[in-house]
Amino acid sequence: MAASASAARLLAGDSLTIHVSSRPQLAMVSALPRSSPPTWRLGRPVRLSTSSPHARSVRCLAAGGGLAPEMRATLDKVVASHKVVLFMKGTKDFPQCGFSHTVVQILRSLDVPFETLDVLANEALRQGLKDYSRWPTFPQLYIDGEFFGGCDITVEAYKSGELQETLEKAMCS
Amino acid sequence: MRQKLQSALEASALEIEDVSYQHAGHAAVKDNANETHFNIRVISSKFEGQSLVKRHRMVYGLLTDELNSGLHAISIVAKTPTESGS
Repeated sequence: MAASASAARLLAGDSLTIHVSSRPQLAMVSALPRSSPPTWRLGRPVRLSTSSPHARSVRCLAAGGGLAPEMRATLDKVVASHKVVLFMKGTKDFPQCGFSHTVVQILRSLDVPFETLDVLANEALRQGLKDYSRWPTFPQLYIDGEFFGGCDITVEAYKSGELQETLEKAMCS
Repeated sequence: MRQKLQSALEASALEIEDVSYQHAGHAAVKDNANETHFNIRVISSKFEGQSLVKRHRMVYGLLTDELNSGLHAISIVAKTPTESGS
């Protein structure tokens, strides 16, 4: 299956191989059920098989160097915490950047509940996200735990209807 | 920047617009509102079959040096020749 093939490639080439047994000091290890070691090794939930192809490659690419496992685990949790998560500059009521503001407007007009996080308030989060998403700029929109895109992509998808479709699917799942 | 994008992407059309002036006074642009924000429109057959996220990543990947030194934001339109109708 493509997902496990790419997972194998990831483990083979990546220096970030974390084996459950050798990292007992990490709190996350004990929290995870022993029956799912592949989940832990990938460092992210194994939902790859049901995702669209582009999302699958996003996951593989996102195993960038320089990202601490704790940060990765935290970000995993954050993007999974709500169906729609927007990392932006400023807050949804006070955006501090035109691009971030645009995405907030779009989401508001679609009447979807969404969570925003201000990356200007937290430099570690800001840098961590750039590595995690392998995306150098903000805003960054995550739908259903997967990176969707920045402002341009969101606007395009909104115009084409793809954004609404993706959101609907996420809300119903 | 133009050369890099042009040669790596074998772009059939490439437009780069410096819109830094539109963002002067913006939180992250300190003193120098020069070459910080760009609009990039590129048409390349290399984008064929690639999702938007992948296409944008390709462009970002080519501009890593610039992004680490002053370039703050880019707005990307990345199309294939078929899509752009040319």
